[in-house]
Amino acid sequence: MSSRKLSWYRPGDPWLMLLPTVAGLALFRLGPMLGSLLLGFADWNMLTPPAFIGLGNYTELLADPVFPAVLRSTLEFSLLYVAGVMALGLAIALLLDRKARGIGFFRAAFYSPVITSAVAVGIVWSWLLSPRYGLLNNLLATLGLPEPYWLGDPRLALPTVAIVQVWKMSGYYMIIFLAGLQGIPHSLIEASKIDGASPRQRFFTIILPLLSPTTFFVLNVALIDSFKNFELIYAMTKGGPQNATNTLVYDVYLNGFVHYRTGYASALSYVLLACVALVTGLSFLAKKRWVKYQY
Amino acid sequence: MGDAMKRARTILYYAVLTLLGAATIFPFFWMALNSFKSEATIFSVPPRWVPDLFGGGDPFANYRIIFRDFNWARFTVNSAVVAGLSALGQVATCSLAGFAFASMRFKGRNLLFALLLGTMMIPVQSTIIPEFLIMMRIGWLDSYLPLIVPSVLVGSFGTFMFKEHFENVPPSFIDAASIDGAGAFSIYARVYLPMAGSQIATLAIIAFMNAWNDLLRPILYVSSEKWQTVTQALTQFQSQYSARWNLILTGSVLSVLPLLVLYVFLQRYIIQSSVSSGVKG
Repeated sequence: MSSRKLSWYRPGDPWLMLLPTVAGLALFRLGPMLGSLLLGFADWNMLTPPAFIGLGNYTELLADPVFPAVLRSTLEFSLLYVAGVMALGLAIALLLDRKARGIGFFRAAFYSPVITSAVAVGIVWSWLLSPRYGLLNNLLATLGLPEPYWLGDPRLALPTVAIVQVWKMSGYYMIIFLAGLQGIPHSLIEASKIDGASPRQRFFTIILPLLSPTTFFVLNVALIDSFKNFELIYAMTKGGPQNATNTLVYDVYLNGFVHYRTGYASALSYVLLACVALVTGLSFLAKKRWVKYQY
Repeated sequence: MGDAMKRARTILYYAVLTLLGAATIFPFFWMALNSFKSEATIFSVPPRWVPDLFGGGDPFANYRIIFRDFNWARFTVNSAVVAGLSALGQVATCSLAGFAFASMRFKGRNLLFALLLGTMMIPVQSTIIPEFLIMMRIGWLDSYLPLIVPSVLVGSFGTFMFKEHFENVPPSFIDAASIDGAGAFSIYARVYLPMAGSQIATLAIIAFMNAWNDLLRPILYVSSEKWQTVTQALTQFQSQYSARWNLILTGSVLSVLPLLVLYVFLQRYIIQSSVSSGVKG
């Protein structure tokens, strides 16, 4: 390497091409992350000048009786969502992982709620679940069963919203599982058949272990996705009844843009950020224990 | 396994699929069906399976009302402009960034790429308050801009997808073009971009859908009816006319329909986006 090879691009070219990305990262991601952190130490309502109050917002958060309820809703929603989409996504993927007539149609059908707006989904399900005229309660009444107040009962509202989100998103995870299943070498499945393994043995000793990288990927995506439930809650319950469906993302919106508690909402948004970081970190730590990458 | 047994299993298999499929499709079907009912019959118990507007009267009465009295055409145009420009913009910025990351070596490249991917998982609510302040300060409230610009400028998913694709292009393409005197931008535009048709389609459709379905930014940044998107208008409609379910459901149908049509024709690209990365937005 005696002489420097002439480059095919000018030194400024990559930066010119990355200008929008760098600007966007600074203005809409990193800048606001720093901004939220700083605003979290301020008492501010966007109208009067902000006042520095140190950890005041965070101590208030811990004392606020609503905050534990918000954390509980967030956690409960996440658990129901992740368990729901993973179980249903895998089950449907297993059903569709074969060559049969009409598979393409069913795959398209299961995916269709994914592309639909959460607002429309929330509206339609509110209508189906409405207490007196809703189709579901009509059916229950005909069968002589009790008619629950799905979205009005504080004990039922959160599971109901979570199940609707599972209904909406399972198709997305189904597609990822399906890709994972189709990546399992056929020879292994065939060999197990020749060895006389039952379908159940085949599932637990071959398919599930070989699917574990996909499962891990799905778990990660689902965990992060489980925090993003703002639209559906806005369309179905607005955080109620009695904060039963008030999750972290919704509470940030409520405090920031309904109650105009900018500083307090910023502190909340950092709790949200910490939760996402924690969950992602934990699942990566757990990865080593159960993911098998070798065939 | 006997033939009868085999047939029974096939029937059971399709029965399970059909049941699950029906549970997925039914809410859409019921929504569409009820958009052809009048306000009087929408609450009838037991529910009517044949909408009253089909038998006499104007079957599209609700649709006419919603376009005539509620400005729905304007909302639809707004959504189409916001979603269309978001899609175009994201394709441009992400393909450029993906090209730079894939083919050029420069200082800070790995750090920048790590930041781009690392901040992808952050929920928008954790950065929305400062973002709102920025939008307010630069006077972009009540316009299309705050609904388009943030997603156009940073597209992690799209950049990642283009980078992966462009990394598989043999470097001889660059050598050949640069010997002919082409600069970096012309190599990008005339050699690389034409090779990424599938990626362009995938990103365009995903960006279009995300912008069309977005709710948080519209409700924060837009207050006058002039700039409202369909998704936002629907929530306003829901809270203002909470008893008029025939119109609310008609609005829902109209908000979903354009995307369903796109989905029918571009299914391959949409499903591809789930497989290729599993990250939205």
